[in-house]
Amino acid sequence: MSKSAGPLDDAGIEIDGVGKTFRWRNKGVAEEVVALGKVDFTVRSNEFLAVIGPSGCGKTTLLRTVAGLIKPDRGEIRVGGRPVTGPGEDRAVVFQHFGLFPWKTVVDNVKFPLRMRGVPDKEAAATARANLKKVGLEGFERSYPHQLSGGMQQRVGLARALATDARILLMDEPFGAIDAQTREFMQEQLMKLWDENKKTVVFVTHDLDEAVSLADRILVLSRRPSRVRAVVDVDLPRPRWDYDVRSEPAFAEARRTIWEMLRSDLVEEEEGAGIHAI
Amino acid sequence: MQTIALTDQKTDRPPPRKPPGRVRRLWARMCTPEFYSPACFLLVFFIAWEIAGRRIDPLLFAPPSRVAEAFVDLAASGELVTATLTTLNALLAGFGLAVLIGLPFGVLLGQGSVFGRVLEPYINAVYATPRVVIVPLVIIWFGVDYSGRVFLVWLGSVIPVIINTAYGVRNARPDLLEVARSFQTPRHQLIRHVLLPGALPYIAAGLRIAAGRAVIGVLVAEIFLQNTGLGGVIQTNAAFFRTAPMLAAVMLVGLIGTLFISSVNVLEKRVAGWKTAGRAE
Amino acid sequence: MRSERFSPRAALGRAAPHLAFAVVFFGAWELYGRSDDAQLPAVSAVATAMADMTADGSLPSALGSSMQLLVIGFLSAAVAGFVGGVLLGRYRPLDRTLMPFLSALYAVPTVALVPLVLVWLGFGLSGRVTVVFLSCYFPIMMNVYAGVRDTPPELIEVSRSFLVRSEFGLLRTVVIPAAVPFIMSGLRLGIGLGVVGMAVAEVYLRLGGIGALIAAYGATFRLDYLFAAIIPLPLLGLLLTKLFTLIERRADAWRAG
Repeated sequence: MSKSAGPLDDAGIEIDGVGKTFRWRNKGVAEEVVALGKVDFTVRSNEFLAVIGPSGCGKTTLLRTVAGLIKPDRGEIRVGGRPVTGPGEDRAVVFQHFGLFPWKTVVDNVKFPLRMRGVPDKEAAATARANLKKVGLEGFERSYPHQLSGGMQQRVGLARALATDARILLMDEPFGAIDAQTREFMQEQLMKLWDENKKTVVFVTHDLDEAVSLADRILVLSRRPSRVRAVVDVDLPRPRWDYDVRSEPAFAEARRTIWEMLRSDLVEEEEGAGIHAI
Repeated sequence: MQTIALTDQKTDRPPPRKPPGRVRRLWARMCTPEFYSPACFLLVFFIAWEIAGRRIDPLLFAPPSRVAEAFVDLAASGELVTATLTTLNALLAGFGLAVLIGLPFGVLLGQGSVFGRVLEPYINAVYATPRVVIVPLVIIWFGVDYSGRVFLVWLGSVIPVIINTAYGVRNARPDLLEVARSFQTPRHQLIRHVLLPGALPYIAAGLRIAAGRAVIGVLVAEIFLQNTGLGGVIQTNAAFFRTAPMLAAVMLVGLIGTLFISSVNVLEKRVAGWKTAGRAE
Repeated sequence: MRSERFSPRAALGRAAPHLAFAVVFFGAWELYGRSDDAQLPAVSAVATAMADMTADGSLPSALGSSMQLLVIGFLSAAVAGFVGGVLLGRYRPLDRTLMPFLSALYAVPTVALVPLVLVWLGFGLSGRVTVVFLSCYFPIMMNVYAGVRDTPPELIEVSRSFLVRSEFGLLRTVVIPAAVPFIMSGLRLGIGLGVVGMAVAEVYLRLGGIGALIAAYGATFRLDYLFAAIIPLPLLGLLLTKLFTLIERRADAWRAG
């Protein structure tokens, strides 16, 4: 089903047999954990893809390999057909911990990626202001991150990613550290922004409701060493922000399907832990 | 990975007798870069120093072999033991007095009275005065002997004890004070059961600073006040440009200082154990 | 806490106990100093001595040469401490190899090294500067080291994700800005200890600077002049420390609290 996508244009991502093993030494003893087993998947251009899986399954590792922040040990990632060798202008990351530089003002934080690309200061400032306006943070340009609430800080993070004008947005549990009510508001904001300005979004989350209410498709990973467990299509009409998505039967349907998968993984893990303990 | 390891053991020749756990752990520890890279550096450094020292001037740039020789000589003549004991004596006496006087004084200052605020600039001024420059005053007030040395040690270490105790008492948790007050706790019981225990982590940190300053104080006294103890060994030999015994004494001073401060650290961990989990410093 | 508007009355109210105490303290000192077997010079005598030494130029010129020593020693320690701290904090193999020895050296009080340094480097300016250098170097280097080593790795990742590739770029965009609070407190500690190192070097050598003045008046037991020579040192130490605290606050404007 997922293979039925047409030829990839610039904003598609091919994840081709990607695996990652972390190795380290603990008091001279080599230890390792296989974070990603072998992941094969293709992200379509301009789709909103959510990635979900049991905690510690390597969702974030997968996102960071796509971002080019870590190199996979096995396999390859291609964006628009070109292999990923490191971070690039075509991708922008929104971090779970917001990733704002505490010593920079809000506007300087948003300017940062542009300045690093050699955009002149004036132009970068104008772009930064425009994007801060998009996320509703007009008037906070000169504030420091610590003066803002968590939700506002993440809007700065979002504005920074949007300011790069990258075709692909990689979001790593972006609303995970935000309180529940603000989170729902942020989700709505994100939907509006995405409707206005289509981008490919890879959205890692551990929140089932969040995944279903936002995404076109949901990639379910198995527990470590993770592989693609399933791909679930979400058949909910868009725009999704002007009706109550959660009361739709399709929402409940998709939610139940994914929960069953996650639940069986959790149960297995619990039993596994029990055996080891004995 | 695990299964591979298992089959290895089964199919290959029987595993050799395990060496005792301790040896094996020691070996594993020695195979980490944390061990071998400083060890290699030390070796290279000593060899380079040995060669360079001999080439240039073995008297002035005493190579490690000469330092070791000097150390043995000093130890054999009994001078090293005497000097160490002299140094420790003044160090411990001055530090002990600093704790005995600094604690009650700190509790007094910490209770939010005007007194504490008024005294603060004077205490800071004394704290900021390098101790070498008051050596002439110490000579007049206490003479050059034991009491003068103890005073210099005391002066350096009493102030951090006072400042930290006062700070700790001043920052006692108001909620706990309220609890105590709701039970009509008398003043002295309040100090004993709420203020002091709450201030303990700060006091312990103050003691650690005080310990470091006590070591400096005893050396200042022994170099500038009266040539005695380990500082005296350094100073006397400096007059003759004999660097080998100087280096031996400097190393011993470093060792004593480290041991002294780390014993205060151990005390701190013991006493303030309940707070280590969430401490910022 | 402190209200923004300045009110003379409230300021006077705050200052009153300080003033009262100062009057009592210095008054008692003055009275005691005037008694026959006093072991302290009277405050007035110290003031006279200070005026005297200022008038004949001995105090200003001594302070000048001491300051020169302090500035050279501190600046070189600041540069070396910064470079050393960044290298050690950023490159694990260097850290592993050298840190055990640097910590051991840090544990040796600088006073114990003074005679050695002066024997090795001679009694000229270079020996004295080295003593000041050693006094300031370790607190600065250790603080820079701690700040650089504890740079939040997630911020480094942010920088990398936005196309900062070179090591120099990472240092400039993340590592050093994140270490600024540590660097500043290292400099603040360093300058305070630098004043002490300066005094130690000068008193030890008894030539040049405020330390020589103190040593000379101390040897002849001229207490009023001795006090007059000592007093500028803690003032200098407090002033410089205060100055660095102010700079530190400005540099830390972005920090919470």
